[in-house]
Amino acid sequence: MDWTTWSRENTDPGKAVGKPEALDGLLVIDFSYGSFAGLYASSLLAEFGARVIRVEPPEGDVARKMSPFGLEIDGTGLPYIVEGRNKEHITLNLETEEGRRIARELVKKADVFIETSPPGFMEERGFGYEALKAENEGLVYLSLHTCGRRGELAEKAKSANWACYDTTAQALSGFAWTTGIPEYFEGFPEHTKVPTKMGNWIAWYAGGTFGAFAVMAALYAREFTGKGQFIDISPAEALMNLNNYALHYYHLSGKVMERPGNIEPAAHPYCYVRCKDGMVFIAGYTDQNFQALCSIIGRPDLPEKYPTVRDRTNVDNAFAIIQEIEKFTMEKTREEIVELWLSYRGPGVTVAGEVLSPDETVKFDHWYERGALVERKEEPWGDLLIQGTVAKMTETPPRIKWVCRKVGADNESVYSEFLGLSSKEVGALREKGVI
Amino acid sequence: MEKFFDEIFSRKEALKGVRVLDITRVILGPWCATLLAELGAEVIHVEVPGTGDVLIRPVAPWGDFPRGISPGMMCANANKYFFGLDMRKEEGQEIVKELVARTDILIENFKGGTFEKWGIGYRQLREINPSLIYISMQGFGNWGPLSERPSYDAYAQGITGLAEITGFEESMATKSSAWIGDFLSGTYGAFVAMVALFYRKRTGKGQFIDISQAELLIRSMDWTWLYQKVAGKRRSRFGNRDMAVVPSCIVRTKDGFAALGAWTEREFNGLISVMGREDLSEFAPLEKRHQGAEKIYSAVEEWAKGVSTADLLEAAERGGFAAARVMNSKDIHESPHFNERRAVWKFDDPVWGDLAYPFALHLEETPGRIRWSMRPVGFDNEYVLRKVLGLSQEKVAELYEKGVVGKWDEKVPFACPPPGWDGEAGLTFKE
Repeated sequence: MDWTTWSRENTDPGKAVGKPEALDGLLVIDFSYGSFAGLYASSLLAEFGARVIRVEPPEGDVARKMSPFGLEIDGTGLPYIVEGRNKEHITLNLETEEGRRIARELVKKADVFIETSPPGFMEERGFGYEALKAENEGLVYLSLHTCGRRGELAEKAKSANWACYDTTAQALSGFAWTTGIPEYFEGFPEHTKVPTKMGNWIAWYAGGTFGAFAVMAALYAREFTGKGQFIDISPAEALMNLNNYALHYYHLSGKVMERPGNIEPAAHPYCYVRCKDGMVFIAGYTDQNFQALCSIIGRPDLPEKYPTVRDRTNVDNAFAIIQEIEKFTMEKTREEIVELWLSYRGPGVTVAGEVLSPDETVKFDHWYERGALVERKEEPWGDLLIQGTVAKMTETPPRIKWVCRKVGADNESVYSEFLGLSSKEVGALREKGVI
Repeated sequence: MEKFFDEIFSRKEALKGVRVLDITRVILGPWCATLLAELGAEVIHVEVPGTGDVLIRPVAPWGDFPRGISPGMMCANANKYFFGLDMRKEEGQEIVKELVARTDILIENFKGGTFEKWGIGYRQLREINPSLIYISMQGFGNWGPLSERPSYDAYAQGITGLAEITGFEESMATKSSAWIGDFLSGTYGAFVAMVALFYRKRTGKGQFIDISQAELLIRSMDWTWLYQKVAGKRRSRFGNRDMAVVPSCIVRTKDGFAALGAWTEREFNGLISVMGREDLSEFAPLEKRHQGAEKIYSAVEEWAKGVSTADLLEAAERGGFAAARVMNSKDIHESPHFNERRAVWKFDDPVWGDLAYPFALHLEETPGRIRWSMRPVGFDNEYVLRKVLGLSQEKVAELYEKGVVGKWDEKVPFACPPPGWDGEAGLTFKE
């Protein structure tokens, strides 16, 4: 069997059902509030089979209301529906004595605890790490907050009650500074030539990924020591780690990396250029690969004129080279350009790729075949299109078992299982505002 | 608090004893392995002798290599052992097999099927080491209609629509200058590696894992896909305004830029109070908030223009809503907060001198750490050949002779130690 066939046969997410789950048997209590860093971290663990109990206050997590233009389905916003996967959704009021008592019962049995509140919030209610550790030595406690749990900003966040936002994390990380259109670009409105946040919640997703990674490392270490630990992850720092060499280079040179638009200052051409129906990505930045690029566009004179990386990354030359490339690409569509580059068989490697809007992206069969995008109907949400799981694995593939549930949907089953409460008793707790 | 940071090096490492064979290029794979190395795994980074990784070592802003250091190589390659091995040679492939017998996790990011052709694909290697965790990372994965396509980070940002939803609608699609598709997918890869390692600890079973960079970006694009399905239209660009969390934005101040977020009713009331815009209080309830989005954002942007960033931050403390300065690398480098936390990790590297790295893995009992930076091509060959594989000096000499292993080419500056290196500093193995 050839490799492509074998790898497909053995990692097709459509065949995941029935295979073992890597995190089977782990219990995660997700106490996050108003933060998709926490929700994404618990989604990642849930995709691999951890049992995740999502705890919200009786009125629901404010994250359920975070939705583009306030769009909701049956009271829940779109992003929350996406990150509700495989989780049991219960309610609990930490502001009541009884609510706190019930929460402690749950946490005693947990392997992982996730929270995203302003520093101090959990401690004040008796749910700081030290307090929980005393009752559950193996607990892995993940704290996610823009400002972290230590340091000057954490102190400010504590005294002023700052919540964990994506935009503030993008700002602190240095990522917003290096994204966007520079002042010297011509032909763009002034107010758009500013440090720019990523369109998606990149800091929350980065923070959630780092959080899930750190939790797994702690769980692995626990296999040897039996002990859990406290983890302090800042989505701002997570994103700072993903901002290329900006910080390293400043230390070395005293130079600040500025926003370069869609041009790469360290390798050129490696940029977006205009074409007949939009933009395409073009790469051919090493000497040999630049020659390959220039042979496709029929311009063997360019490598002679700009022979080295230094020649090409020089700002003036970089623009001149783009103009030359665009003379060629402006005559062609994105599709034509991609086809042309894919058919290149000469020496060197040069890449061209289409820049698409998301409504164009969804047209590739590739994403559906590989389960990266999933169409699914689930009540009460109706027909959905959501992100699937990413890793394709032969032994323990991740999967989506259900998409999301409403506020408190799993109260009866969870409280019955963990505290032995009857549905009548659960009803009474609801009456009292405890859950 | 200081005590905690002083004690980092005396604490245990979560991945002590885990060996990773990192046969990757550019950023995606190298970064994945670096995260494992920051938590204590022994990572052997394989490059072709002579030039090393020609796709990332020459990457430097405007061709500037301060102190002879490649910024592109530096940022995704801490704490590793550098091994110069020619895998196109049969003897090179044999060495890979011998290493795999002693390896927990192999990471590669060559085109799907390449390793099979070389006789070192997953199906061959699992015969040698049945509990091997083999991670293959590409733009579009090992199979599927797009899997033949080569990719780079900026292509992934382009084809997924991430660039198209970033920036201002009245300007153009904007990619991050950071190679976010590489870095974020590499981080996800490290997470999945840990999931597989955890499973293996409990069952003894290894596996093959295929990770696509483009798919990870799709996964990270929050409400994009469901919005298109429900609203029936494409997600456009909203500049510095978050249209799901109102207000959460980046704004221009009198002297710079700041971000603020005031979503809960309490925070929102604090914000309109410090702005002196109590007239917006009708939008305080979350059910009403989105209806007022345009008015709220205009008011915030107008107010911010008239105050300094420092004043805005002070107002946020008074008002109890979150805010932050839009920081550049200088601000971060000098920030007491990030330095105190070692989120800015300054250290003395034995090969390159004083350096700074960003750092995020604050695990209390088993803290991560930065030990050293990237190294010249083949710098740790002796460590790998003599210590890990236990080969004799004669055998090692023979491998050099045949060109199966090698160090840096003196004529390729970005592959070399810095000028003035004493020939000893930083070496991990001595006879």
